[in-house]
Amino acid sequence: MDARLRRVNKEILDCKNDRASNIQVDLIDNSPFHLKGSFNGPEGTPYEGGHFEVDIVIPDSYPFQPVKMKFITKVYHPNISSASGAICLDILKDAWSPVLTLKSTLISLQSLLCSPEPNDPQDAEVAKHYMTSRSSFEETARYWTMIYAGGPGKEGLKSGAKSGSKDEVAMAGLEKAHVDQFEALGFDRSKVIDVLRRMNYRGANVAKINDDRVVEELLK
Amino acid sequence: MSSDYEYSDQEYYDEDDEQMFDEDGSASDMEIDAFPEDFKSKKGKQKSYEVPHEPLTQAQIEQFMAQDVENISGIFGVDVSIVDPLILILAKDRLIEKYMDNPTAVLVKAGLELPEKQTESSSRSRASQTGPRRSTRRQNSDQPRSGVSKIIERITPPVEDYGPFVCPICFDDTQTETMALACNHKFCSACWNAYITSKIRTEGEHWITCMAEDCSLVTPDKFIHFALKDDKATWERFQELLVRHFVSCNPNLKFCPYPSCTNAVSCPAASSKSVLTTIVPIVCCGASDSHKFCFGCTIDADHRPVICAVAKMWLQKCQDDSETANWIKSNTKECSKCQSTIEKNGGCNHMTCKKCKYEFCWVCMGPWSEHGTAWYSCNRYDDKSSIDARDAQSKSRASLERYLHYYNRWANHEQSAKLSVELYAKTEKKMEEMQITSELTWIEVQFMKKAVDEVFKCRMTLKWTYAMAYYLEKGNQKALFEDNQRYLENAVEELSELIESPFEPETIATLRQKVTDKTVYVQNRNEIMLEDTARGFQEGRWKWNVTVNGFDQAEEGEE
Ligand SMILES: [Zn+2]
Ligand SMILES: [Zn+2]
Ligand SMILES: [Zn+2]
Ligand SMILES: [Zn+2]
Ligand SMILES: [Zn+2]
Ligand SMILES: [Zn+2]
Repeated sequence: MDARLRRVNKEILDCKNDRASNIQVDLIDNSPFHLKGSFNGPEGTPYEGGHFEVDIVIPDSYPFQPVKMKFITKVYHPNISSASGAICLDILKDAWSPVLTLKSTLISLQSLLCSPEPNDPQDAEVAKHYMTSRSSFEETARYWTMIYAGGPGKEGLKSGAKSGSKDEVAMAGLEKAHVDQFEALGFDRSKVIDVLRRMNYRGANVAKINDDRVVEELLK
Repeated sequence: MSSDYEYSDQEYYDEDDEQMFDEDGSASDMEIDAFPEDFKSKKGKQKSYEVPHEPLTQAQIEQFMAQDVENISGIFGVDVSIVDPLILILAKDRLIEKYMDNPTAVLVKAGLELPEKQTESSSRSRASQTGPRRSTRRQNSDQPRSGVSKIIERITPPVEDYGPFVCPICFDDTQTETMALACNHKFCSACWNAYITSKIRTEGEHWITCMAEDCSLVTPDKFIHFALKDDKATWERFQELLVRHFVSCNPNLKFCPYPSCTNAVSCPAASSKSVLTTIVPIVCCGASDSHKFCFGCTIDADHRPVICAVAKMWLQKCQDDSETANWIKSNTKECSKCQSTIEKNGGCNHMTCKKCKYEFCWVCMGPWSEHGTAWYSCNRYDDKSSIDARDAQSKSRASLERYLHYYNRWANHEQSAKLSVELYAKTEKKMEEMQITSELTWIEVQFMKKAVDEVFKCRMTLKWTYAMAYYLEKGNQKALFEDNQRYLENAVEELSELIESPFEPETIATLRQKVTDKTVYVQNRNEIMLEDTARGFQEGRWKWNVTVNGFDQAEEGEE
């Protein structure tokens, strides 16, 4: 049998047999080389209670070249692209070793959720948010977990809208008052959200950003 | 100086038709002395615009490597015959400076030795907390002692053929042959083979570490050779990567950039970036005369007389071409009614289309009839800022015209040089005709080819003199430069015309005399242009109207 196929089959089996780790691997189509990994958000983090899915592609030269992974579930995290789910993690690149497995790599992703590395960001805007105001960042990450990963607190969160619909202000990690303030000047609400998010209009930063600069950006 | 020059055919034209101006093989006649000094020999004294360099074949590069190995092994105090030579080369750039301070730490860092104690992983791999760890295994495995002994140890990969073994990579328990580095991370040799092949083939990597996570021990070439077994192609690719790496780490060496050429050039005179403000290191790899390239940049095969930094600036400017685009943008517009192109020529913004008589505002393109109403945003251009804007526009136009002056001449020479293939074909035909209609032999009609060669060469020089002149600061030096440029250009155009003029059988002797004289003159002018510019760089004579890396700040307000 093809060495790559034997190895992948064994890896899939290992995950199935190991109930303790809570790591799941499923076939997406009928090929063992395109998989869906999933795990629960780690406890004590804003991702707690969420269920996260990862798209896994096994390259031809696996395991000598790293496995390709990206989040299917939208995640608000400095090392994960909020748009594409692309992941910035060394073992998925040059620190890959052929002895690493799907399970150990997924566990690494799980622990990446515990300990973001904002200095090596995949998503610069999210990283800025993380650096500026940890509590505001965590609130947003929790909101994303609730909206996208089936996390708890649908009615608990104050900013939460009616279940099912998303609150764009909370999604962007902004304060409703700030958005209202600029919207009142006659700008489109979604544009205000977009600009304030890009400018990282959060926490201590708010005091540093002149209203005129915001308006200037809004006029562009 | 060429007018009183005389020659006789037999002596003038060497038997070797390629090298007809070469003095080798021709008698040391007085005619030869009539040639300009430099014209005669490549082996003569070094010219200012030439840089000493040495062409190297693949075999010679390998010799260089061998020499290097000897030097390095001297520093490390190890015997070349037992130490893996290639690994030392690989390690050199990572080792040498720091080795003296802390030999062990350096060897560890270079992947040649195991760390004393397995330190906690500094890598960000998250599996380290929960995943299976091998660090304990590493700690209790018998640690070899010194770097040297370990290198020797690893020359012979331990191959075992006993015991049940499940390879941690392929999970195959039927594999009997295993291999491990000094770290004792054992894997089946099929996996080693696949891993090393993938590194070499897919990643073009020559620095191959152990397959275990966080293990930085590097595989020596003998290990790689063993693991690859009969895969000669991959082994050769690996050696090629090593040589490539060796050359890229050595500032004195560069590979010839011509496709599929494996020669390299050694040019210690151009090994540092800082000398590139005083020399233009055009070298030749020796495989063919046409394999000329610049040791300092990849801009053009030969951009003499101008230095790399200025040539680069110029090309960037031409590429951006933004000024041309700006001019077109700021000086012509389309009528919003009939789309005919209108060029602005006065200061007034009230435009009337010549074709459809539509009246509109130049600034906002809106209908002129609506101007004057307060809500029209265009009104703000009616105050002082509009005057400033117009002022800026005429300034930018002047600078554009200056640029176009140089650009057109630069592009013209480039274009003419590109057409040289055609010119060569035409000349060849002409040379055949000449043989038929006149008494001249094939060798005797070579003066035509020589003239075309010279025109081509000088056009390349001229092309780059325009790039240089564009950035030269106004003054005496620039005037002298432009005098030389003009003399050369006039001579080249005259020679071009002569080559392309029709010839009559009865005037061919005169034509030949004229062309030969002119060729010598042109060659001489080119020599002066190159020589004087090169000397100017060495003497620091050239001043720029912009800031050029490695030169003093440009004076303000040149325009
Ligand atoms: Zn194996
Ligand atoms: Zn190892
Ligand atoms: Zn070459
Ligand atoms: Zn250059
Ligand atoms: Zn019109
Ligand atoms: Zn107007």
